Amino acid sequence: MSVETALPPDLENGPTDEELVASTLKGDMGAYDELIRRFQGRLYGVIYHLTSNHEDTNDLLMEVFDKAYRSLPTFRGQSSFYTWIYRIAINRSFNFLDKRKRRQGAMSLNELDEDGLPKLDLPDISPQNDPNKSIMLNELQNKLNESMLKLSKEHRTVVTLFDIQGLAHAEIAKIMGCTEGTVRSRLHYAHKQLQKSLGIYLKK
Amino acid sequence: MSQKEDFSQLQKLLRVKRLETPGQEYFDRFVDAFHTYQRREILQQEPWYAKVVEVLFEPWIAGVPRLATVAASAACLVAGVAFFLGPIQSGTAHLADGKVAHPRGILVAASQKEESLQIQPELIDTAAGGDTTELRPLYVNGHGAVAYDSRLAF
Repeated sequence: MSVETALPPDLENGPTDEELVASTLKGDMGAYDELIRRFQGRLYGVIYHLTSNHEDTNDLLMEVFDKAYRSLPTFRGQSSFYTWIYRIAINRSFNFLDKRKRRQGAMSLNELDEDGLPKLDLPDISPQNDPNKSIMLNELQNKLNESMLKLSKEHRTVVTLFDIQGLAHAEIAKIMGCTEGTVRSRLHYAHKQLQKSLGIYLKK
Repeated sequence: MSQKEDFSQLQKLLRVKRLETPGQEYFDRFVDAFHTYQRREILQQEPWYAKVVEVLFEPWIAGVPRLATVAASAACLVAGVAFFLGPIQSGTAHLADGKVAHPRGILVAASQKEESLQIQPELIDTAAGGDTTELRPLYVNGHGAVAYDSRLAF
């Protein structure tokens, strides 16, 4: 099981993202494969924490890299490739979430859990040898995801980028196209909401 | 317990979510899976009007049409009638910058050789009948390449 890393890849031993973009535009497809390898883990994390579903995340991740590849000729380098592709991932995820929200009324009861939220698709991260810990961890995971899904998509995004991926306020502001102040206030509100719904786990 | 301390505990709790990633095998296979996806997308590319229909009718299917959707549907109906009264061109490819590549400008090359990972303009110029082309890659993988001539994109 790999753990998401918020740190940028080690650029000392290879070309920069912008150099890889330039090589891709010249027709070197190996360069784009390298960009995919650099960003797949982090973008997977962003999309997954917004959708809470691995199958949807896989589909959206493919779409994001495809969209980015097709749009590369229009990439002017005004922002870093890193910011640019994160923005694509977030916009795609938002579109998907809007569609899912509209369709929720048409979802069958089998697709919803008892709280009326879409069923969560969680990986098994439980310790193999301790069944009690395993049950507790699964319960915690479910509760965390339920609480995240109750946040608006903008609030969920700042929590994902700041608390889970470890990005700085300034980076988040660039990705989301807002001010640092907005990021901080969204984060504060989201923390308060999460604290309310996860209070029981915080007092343990 | 102060509010700040509460937030730091919450942040520790949220870090549990970092574990929710698929295994390394998933990421090892991802680039190959992406190539397969990209190839399928190019071969099965929907015409633009199918996408318009999907965007317009999705809210109706979900049972929540909005005024904007109704207005856009009416506008598209008018545009659609105009479109179907005009000539239909098949085999074109829609490009990222909004242009459309003419079918004559789309070239496909297939090979099992590793060198084919790079598009070779001379070879495709020959295949295009000796005309000089200004090739841009649309899609390339280990089995072949699809390119378009930017002079035939409008």
